[in-house]
Amino acid sequence: MLILAHAGHWLVSLAYFAPVAAFVVWLVIVTLKERWAGRGRDHEEKGSGGGGS
Amino acid sequence: MAHGIVGRSDLPIPEWLFGWAAAVVLVVSFVALAVLWPQPRLQDGGLRALPGALSAVLTSRAVEVVCGAVGVGLLFLVVYSGLRGVQVASANFASNFVFVVFWVGLVPASVLLGDVFRAFNPWRALGRTVAWISQTAAREPMPAPLAYPQRLGYLPAAAGLLAFTALELVASSGSQPKNVAVATLAYSAITFVAMALYGVEEWSRKGEAFGVYFSLFARISVWTRRGERLGLRKPLSGLAEFEPLPGSVLLLAVMIGTVTFDGAGEGPLWTGAAPRIQDLFESIGLSPEKALEGAFFIGLCAGVALIFGFYRLGMTGAASVGGNQSVKRLTRAFVHTLVPIATAYVMAHYLTFLLYQGQSMKFLVSNPLGGNATNIFGTADDAIDYGVIGATTAWYCQVGFVVVGHVAALTMAHDRALVTYDKARLAVRSQYWMLLVMIGFTLLALWLLAQSNG
Repeated sequence: MLILAHAGHWLVSLAYFAPVAAFVVWLVIVTLKERWAGRGRDHEEKGSGGGGS
Repeated sequence: MAHGIVGRSDLPIPEWLFGWAAAVVLVVSFVALAVLWPQPRLQDGGLRALPGALSAVLTSRAVEVVCGAVGVGLLFLVVYSGLRGVQVASANFASNFVFVVFWVGLVPASVLLGDVFRAFNPWRALGRTVAWISQTAAREPMPAPLAYPQRLGYLPAAAGLLAFTALELVASSGSQPKNVAVATLAYSAITFVAMALYGVEEWSRKGEAFGVYFSLFARISVWTRRGERLGLRKPLSGLAEFEPLPGSVLLLAVMIGTVTFDGAGEGPLWTGAAPRIQDLFESIGLSPEKALEGAFFIGLCAGVALIFGFYRLGMTGAASVGGNQSVKRLTRAFVHTLVPIATAYVMAHYLTFLLYQGQSMKFLVSNPLGGNATNIFGTADDAIDYGVIGATTAWYCQVGFVVVGHVAALTMAHDRALVTYDKARLAVRSQYWMLLVMIGFTLLALWLLAQSNG
């Protein structure tokens, strides 16, 4: 029972910080997407630059 | 001096759900700022001056002297009552005045009225008086003080605030009136030596812990003084004018981190960890009392490190979006946004302490020494009314302070980003990280309140 009581307390504490975890996940996805999009643009620019010369 | 309040049982939703709602408010505010606030608006606060005669009276030498005299009188009363009064913190003027009226009460007073402490600062008043007497007696200009070392910045102020909070939260008998009086005398001696070395005004602005502390809160106020003119400025614009010196981030981390520890110190996380750290200190030969103080000091520093580290992490993330901004530059550029957060933390955490314990001034002004010593105004037998605010009302006020403080911080960060970055897209992307910092601080504040109130 004591362990369950502690677990309940920890779960409530974790519930407080769930929005931070959700935001971090969203931030990581947005950052990775932008990096991939940036790399895609770099490849396209290199490709078009190479064809023109 | 304990300052928790009883738990609540009649909230319509669980306390943690208030945290989620607060996070949603911040996200909506962020989107609204990105759409509706395309140009910086806070960097120049302007001044709507009061009528000249009113400004002249309020900034006159006579008012300055009276306010300084009141401050010096209160300083002497704190020392006298602390040394001569009953040694019970709740029954003595010294402990109540220093920890309730001065430390907590001056925060809302500064936010609402401006830098009132500067007018009443007893160390500044005494320093200026001594300088004036010396100059009059010498009949020639006094030698110029030493140049204040730029690398020191706000570090002395940060150290002073940490020492004060250690007296309040770490020392086992720190709130005992005699110890408060002795600490006041020690701080006064250090301050006078520093003022003699670096000048009264320079030390008051940069090194004197309480002068720096309250002046930061006063920057939130719409009231300002420019030379001899008093007037109104745009809300929050005073903080945008804040010039960060070395140690600024540490100073703000101390201001928020010590409140963080105070809140966490009343919860099960700390009460479970403290005995283990105490055991560690006892194993190296410290007495149980000193070992517990050592554990609390570690906890206090951990609170400061947590805030410093989280802010630094946010700035590292903001620097990663590009725009040729270094972490160091961003850290200093956005440090002023921590001031509304510090205000929110202080007001939310100490609200009930101020409203309940602040009432002790009713009977302590009549009987500053405690016991049956005096009854100057006939109020020595008055008591504290604990019905002045209910637990549920207090919770709603605390949540309000936390949300408003963090939305204000987010607004200032957005405004500063528009100045810092030349591309609006980079400014908004950098603010994703600031939003993370704000959501983190908001949820931490509400979690701490639940810890200390629960």
